[in-house]
Amino acid sequence: MNNTTHFGFKDVATKDKQHLVKGVFDSVASKYDLMNDVLSLGAHRLWKRYTIASSNVKTGDKVLDIAGGTGDLAIAFRQKVGKSGQVILSDINAAMLNEGRKNLINKGVFGVDFVQLNAQYLPFADNSFDCVSIAFGLRNVTDKDQALSEMHRILKPGGCLLILEFSTTDSKLLKKCYDFYSFNIMPTLGELIADDKASYQYLAESIRKHPDQETLKDRVLEAGFGFCEYHNLSGGIVALHKGIKV
Amino acid sequence: MQYFALEQALNYLIQTGNLDLKPLDNKTIRFALQDLPIELNFISANGRIFVISDTERQNDVDIRLSAGVFFALFKGEDLTELLKQDKLIIHGDVKTVQCLVDLLHSVDIDLEEVLSHYTGDIIAHKAGKIAKDVKHLVQHSNNPLDALKDGLSQLLIMPTVSKLYKNNRH
Repeated sequence: MNNTTHFGFKDVATKDKQHLVKGVFDSVASKYDLMNDVLSLGAHRLWKRYTIASSNVKTGDKVLDIAGGTGDLAIAFRQKVGKSGQVILSDINAAMLNEGRKNLINKGVFGVDFVQLNAQYLPFADNSFDCVSIAFGLRNVTDKDQALSEMHRILKPGGCLLILEFSTTDSKLLKKCYDFYSFNIMPTLGELIADDKASYQYLAESIRKHPDQETLKDRVLEAGFGFCEYHNLSGGIVALHKGIKV
Repeated sequence: MQYFALEQALNYLIQTGNLDLKPLDNKTIRFALQDLPIELNFISANGRIFVISDTERQNDVDIRLSAGVFFALFKGEDLTELLKQDKLIIHGDVKTVQCLVDLLHSVDIDLEEVLSHYTGDIIAHKAGKIAKDVKHLVQHSNNPLDALKDGLSQLLIMPTVSKLYKNNRH
């Protein structure tokens, strides 16, 4: 692995990125859901709904949600797998995981397990999950290829990986509007609502540094998945990559 | 996205116990339409079926046929008869193809509608197609309200296919 990596537009020592990302999420955890709703105008709920609908998860399945934060996906997966299934909500950040736990309790959702973990070192047996999901989390992972390999390892043959992440739009007009929104309005809203401009500046920058759709697709295949297809959502602002282990 | 409704319908039938997947277990089957830039890849694995639009992998069975024959096949035309008439070319096990065709007969979905994305005005067509998908999913779901919400989500975020696939159309 290289000695340096990116943290937004900055180059930082690889060993420092995890700590820097932790700082961002420690800071935004308590206002995470509110900010997501405001910044995406509620669209993040639709993107996640589409992800769940695309998952083909069924009764009795075992599902791991990585970087699961406040638990939106875990709640939906819990309903899908039923009593005979298992859902694990995981996050590297304790503050986010605590928000997830509170959120699930408030919504009366029980039977979800919580694990604090690093996506690069998944503490699970080989071939043990039917579905692994990561929504808006992969771009914050220091070594994405190692994380993808780990996800591949723990999935059963025929298991499905779902990566929901900000991506790249083909439309020049949409890109211009989106850039203006990301670098001007988002940090300002972050300052006004969450009293944290820097974290939302990082959010905008980290999205631009994330691999585009085709590059990520290639990396999913390189991690060992037999098939990978992506769907652009909202003009490519977000993409859902679906990898299938063979 | 264009295969979303088809994949959903197949997996709904699997969940409700109406489809026997054993003959297709771990098989990948590709339908390549000669007169349209369309591929449908059916992957049967882990007790479910995935439908994707492109793959560079070697499939267990490859089928080449025209769009007209493809639609006829799924409307009930006899596979053996079509083979005798040289209307399709199969590389691989014909029995596997027959199993998949039988499964697709069980799915009450208009494949012509699913694939008409490639033959008409895409933008004008899309909302109508999604609306039809929603109607279908609502009718064939054990949770119609959830299916309706899924459909409305799709209408708002307008999922589109992979770039690689889009390029093939030009």
